[in-house]
Amino acid sequence: MFRILIIHTALLVALTPGQLPAQEPEDPSFTAEDIEFFESKIRPLLSKHCYECHSGKSDPIQGALRLDTRKALTKGGDSGTAFNADDPKASLIISAVKYQSFEMPPKYKLSGTDIALLEDWVTRGAPWPTETADSDNPTGEDINWDSLKTKHWAWAPITRPSLPDNAFPEWTMSPIDLFVGHELKANALSPSALATRRTLIRRVALDLTGLLPSPEQVEEFLSDKRPDAYEHLLDRLLASPHYGETWGRHWLDVARFSEGIGGFNDNQHLPHAWHYRDWVIDAWNRDLAYDKFVELQIAGDTTGDYNNAIATGFFALGPSYRSDGGDPDSKAAAQIETLDDRVDTFSRAFMALTVSCARCHDHKFDPIPTMDYYSIAGIFQNSPTHVTPIAPAEQVKIRNDAKAQVDNLNKPIGALDKKIKDAKDNATDEDKQTLETLKSERDQAQANMPPDYPNAHVLREGGNGNMHVALRGDLRKQGDIAPRRFLRLVAGAEPVEFTNGSGRKELAKAVTDRNNPLTSRVIVNRIWMHHFGRALVTSPSNFGTLGQEPSHPELLDWLASELMDNDWSIKTLHKTIMMSSTYRQQSRFREAEFAIDGDNKYLWRMSPRRMTIESWRDALLQATGELEWRLHGSSHRDIANARQRTIYAASSRSGEAFPSDTFLRLFDFPVMRATIAQRPSSTVPQQFLFLMNSGFMIQRANHFVDHLHRHSTENSERIEQAYRVLYARQPTEEEINLGVSFLEASAGSDDVKINRWVQYAQVLLSSNELMFVR
Amino acid sequence: MQPIRDFKPEQFGLSRRQMLQNMGAGFGSVALADMLAPSANAATSPLMPRAPHFAPKAKRIIQLFMPGGPSQVDTFDHKPLIAENAGQRPDLVNRKSLRNTKNGLMPSPFGFKQYGKDGMWISDLFQKTASHVDDLCFIHSMHTDIPEHAGAILMMNLGHLQPIRPSMGSWLVYGLGSDNQNLPGFVSMSPRAQARGKMANYGNAFLPGAYSGCYVNIQQMHPDRIMADLKNNYLPRLAQREQADLLTQLNRIDLARQESDSQLESSIEAMEMAFRMQFAVPEAFDVSTETQNTLDLYGDTEYAKGCLLARRLVERGVRMVQLSLSIDGYDIAWDTGHGDIAGGHKRLADACDQGISALLTDLKQRGMLEDTLVIWGGECGRAPTSEGQKGRDHDHYGFTVWMAGGGVKPGFRYVATDEFGLTAVENRVHVHDYHATLLHLMGLDHERLTYRYSGRDFRLTDVHGDVVHDVIA
Repeated sequence: MFRILIIHTALLVALTPGQLPAQEPEDPSFTAEDIEFFESKIRPLLSKHCYECHSGKSDPIQGALRLDTRKALTKGGDSGTAFNADDPKASLIISAVKYQSFEMPPKYKLSGTDIALLEDWVTRGAPWPTETADSDNPTGEDINWDSLKTKHWAWAPITRPSLPDNAFPEWTMSPIDLFVGHELKANALSPSALATRRTLIRRVALDLTGLLPSPEQVEEFLSDKRPDAYEHLLDRLLASPHYGETWGRHWLDVARFSEGIGGFNDNQHLPHAWHYRDWVIDAWNRDLAYDKFVELQIAGDTTGDYNNAIATGFFALGPSYRSDGGDPDSKAAAQIETLDDRVDTFSRAFMALTVSCARCHDHKFDPIPTMDYYSIAGIFQNSPTHVTPIAPAEQVKIRNDAKAQVDNLNKPIGALDKKIKDAKDNATDEDKQTLETLKSERDQAQANMPPDYPNAHVLREGGNGNMHVALRGDLRKQGDIAPRRFLRLVAGAEPVEFTNGSGRKELAKAVTDRNNPLTSRVIVNRIWMHHFGRALVTSPSNFGTLGQEPSHPELLDWLASELMDNDWSIKTLHKTIMMSSTYRQQSRFREAEFAIDGDNKYLWRMSPRRMTIESWRDALLQATGELEWRLHGSSHRDIANARQRTIYAASSRSGEAFPSDTFLRLFDFPVMRATIAQRPSSTVPQQFLFLMNSGFMIQRANHFVDHLHRHSTENSERIEQAYRVLYARQPTEEEINLGVSFLEASAGSDDVKINRWVQYAQVLLSSNELMFVR
Repeated sequence: MQPIRDFKPEQFGLSRRQMLQNMGAGFGSVALADMLAPSANAATSPLMPRAPHFAPKAKRIIQLFMPGGPSQVDTFDHKPLIAENAGQRPDLVNRKSLRNTKNGLMPSPFGFKQYGKDGMWISDLFQKTASHVDDLCFIHSMHTDIPEHAGAILMMNLGHLQPIRPSMGSWLVYGLGSDNQNLPGFVSMSPRAQARGKMANYGNAFLPGAYSGCYVNIQQMHPDRIMADLKNNYLPRLAQREQADLLTQLNRIDLARQESDSQLESSIEAMEMAFRMQFAVPEAFDVSTETQNTLDLYGDTEYAKGCLLARRLVERGVRMVQLSLSIDGYDIAWDTGHGDIAGGHKRLADACDQGISALLTDLKQRGMLEDTLVIWGGECGRAPTSEGQKGRDHDHYGFTVWMAGGGVKPGFRYVATDEFGLTAVENRVHVHDYHATLLHLMGLDHERLTYRYSGRDFRLTDVHGDVVHDVIA
């Protein structure tokens, strides 16, 4: 039904507007030459001169006439059909551009050449390509939506798998170990022994809070004789407010969080962005159920609670491209790129679907027709970004009223002030007196004004219309209407159309519906990835047919079931994972296992990993005693001198607006232009230039030396303390000796500007052992 | 060297995923060799030279980028009919999307003279460059998607209207590696202001970070400060070496405890590389060793200094140098053409003409022009009609670029725009086609140079682009 209908004019006149004939007539066939003529000469002409008022995008559509599909052209508007097939040159469109009937375009007359082109075109029968000619199946009519569930693992419903046999009874401590053990055995591998408590506490502390365990905490854990000491440790760390700072950051990557400034046509700074960051930190800290967490980010503004509206910063902080010249091509390009950010972030972040591939043509590999792209895009088209107060309405009103009062006083003050100045010596005492009175009133009002309320960048409801499919991704080439509704890949052949405002509320519910097989799988996979350094599905934001198969499909579904059965509690999921032997294994290299599974896909050990830049910088400041533990607040840009945790550093979308951007990017902080599935871990020489030569490192080394010198006067004791603080262990005798002999060697020449202790501290802070988690 | 298509990281005990992860993504500098293989096996470095798809005509590119849109009809696309029809507004120039060009045709304020064996007309703006006309290959029939700088600049440098794709230089280094492991594979330079779009013009986007361009501001340039933290201000070289040795020693003890870990080994290698870079990078950027003749040849403008550095860098194996013109800190310099073509364009041409000419002479004298591709042009052109009284607005329907060396037809013109120079009407070359051609000259098939990201294979030319074989010698 979506294929464009070509209607005989004779038939059309017999119908009232809007009615369609019961029978679809055949498409008139146009030659390729005719179509080429239309595309190269006529479409651009119509687009440039007519569409401002006569397309589906026009508001209002003048005379109810649209000229953006052949169907609309023949249907005509208030004045009847614009194209007369029987006598083409008498068509209304021709007499109008000749200024014989109407005068179109109204502001200027088309050139003779253009008019001649239009005449030529209507004489040829108004050739127009079948609107879907460039796409095999933009509407998805040929897809058997019901059979998809059996075609690809990720589309299949989640059923709680039964537990496999216990392959390693002495090692197994949790259901997870059964799944992992099963695969290990099947691949002729065996698990590693459990890590020592020293290793574990450092691993767990960095994993959950992104911070080093203090020497005291290490000692406490080592001497804790309770059988459930490890569980107590997990509980303590999960309850730490620093947990949200670390796991919230993982989510901020997915949310491609930045404070705007994407450069040029998306160059707005988003000064209130940090409220969203703090909302995320809080949500993780209070273990907000993941389904609620998702729903609020999609439609929190519709709950009526301004705190929930902050969550929609997830979308509102994305790029909003503008056009600087305002010519139609540039405007359309800007608009569609903005929408693409929303669709792409929405679909990859929550469901690991690359819906954005279907923007210009049907998805080549997954069952996502272009129609479905615009079903989702339409929802966001109705959801403009907006800055809103995040304070009780009463507080906002009081402040606004107070501000208005000051402003109202400022106006006469300004006028009177000018009058007095202009009058110079002739200024009257009366005026001067009035001015003084007004000023004191104003100052009083100013003093009484309550403090400004905070604001946030949010989405708001801005319409309830549907979009058209934009042919080949060009908004100016409209195809069929794409009703707002969920993806058929998940919702089946006939999804319910969304009718509630923009449709975001319904969209949110569709995403978190238990029957949606993607949302829970996607988040447990992301959580798993951050615990192990490798995801079960190694394409965490693409579960489509071009993504990777899960290494442990049953484990993935078991975890997803656990999550949903535990009311989507992420903290419960952490504990489930971290209590397993799988998680508690050593990270030592094992040659035989490495030869079989060098990637550690089957988890025969814990993979050693490099810290994130956040953990590493925080650890440095923590070790030197400089870290400022304060949670929340506006961001810091001067990262070299700031002392708050790294999550509070400003980052721009372009990755180059703030000094903190440069610092962060040196160590794999991604440029936040699109949702980040997984950070790379790169080792490049520039990092070592920073470690060897930067003032930042010298400063940290100096502070660390101060700390060590306060601890003891003996070099060997200072060295021991350094190792305890940085690496949670005692140094070996060899290491102590190396340190001592380095420290006691001669200072060298005059141009040595840092002493031996600072040099040594710099080495310890630059070491692999600090930077790696095992 | 191995062909890129046969490059198997598995041979080095690494999965492709691991390798790409280790190579990193997303920071605007360089990444150099030997970071992966335990034995510093050269073939595992992301920047090691890789064989192209087929025999290349050019081995390196110097892009003389002219952001802001130099006017074709005032430089290299001579249209005498404009003067004959001055003030008229013939149908051919009556294209609506031009933003502010409702006036009539405006003759060029510059004189034109004939140069070279074919007597090609070139304006007095580029008299020195004009002396090389028999080596230049002009494409007068360029066109692009939109008439706005940001989008069009990005289109020219990364083949997309938004800053979300890798730059051409990043694609080149990804495809071909670099011939010097102690320098960045791709260097972007400009005096004072970066071209609008900044990092996007030389960024790696979703390609591994090793392929990002490294930006150098010529104006502030000091050999020791080309890259952040290049110089150690605290220790003389020997003391620094001693400190580095201690770090290596402790890192090796740590590695021994883990028994084996390629990440730890990479890290030790990268530290050594960083140590060497402290000396290799300043050397490459230090022009004080050039002869007085050479320095005189280039002259003393900032852009000319960039031209000289470009030669030094490609001489040392850098794959691509992007040298953007800016003046007075303006990031779309040629856009001064809005208000005043005569004054604005004159200043800009004066700022770069001698440097460009010197670069061509110098490369030729050194026998490097044969396999170095020099390309000149902006992101769009300017309309033959006037904006205001003396300026011209943007024109994306038709504009001119030129190429030299590296396998292009010397002394050749690929034409044409219409008789007033507004619209490319014959042999139309879209930016995608231009990119396809440049990659082809470098020995790369633009349809095969792909990178899998976010569910699909991306290319510099997206789903477009045809190689313009007519301009290839």
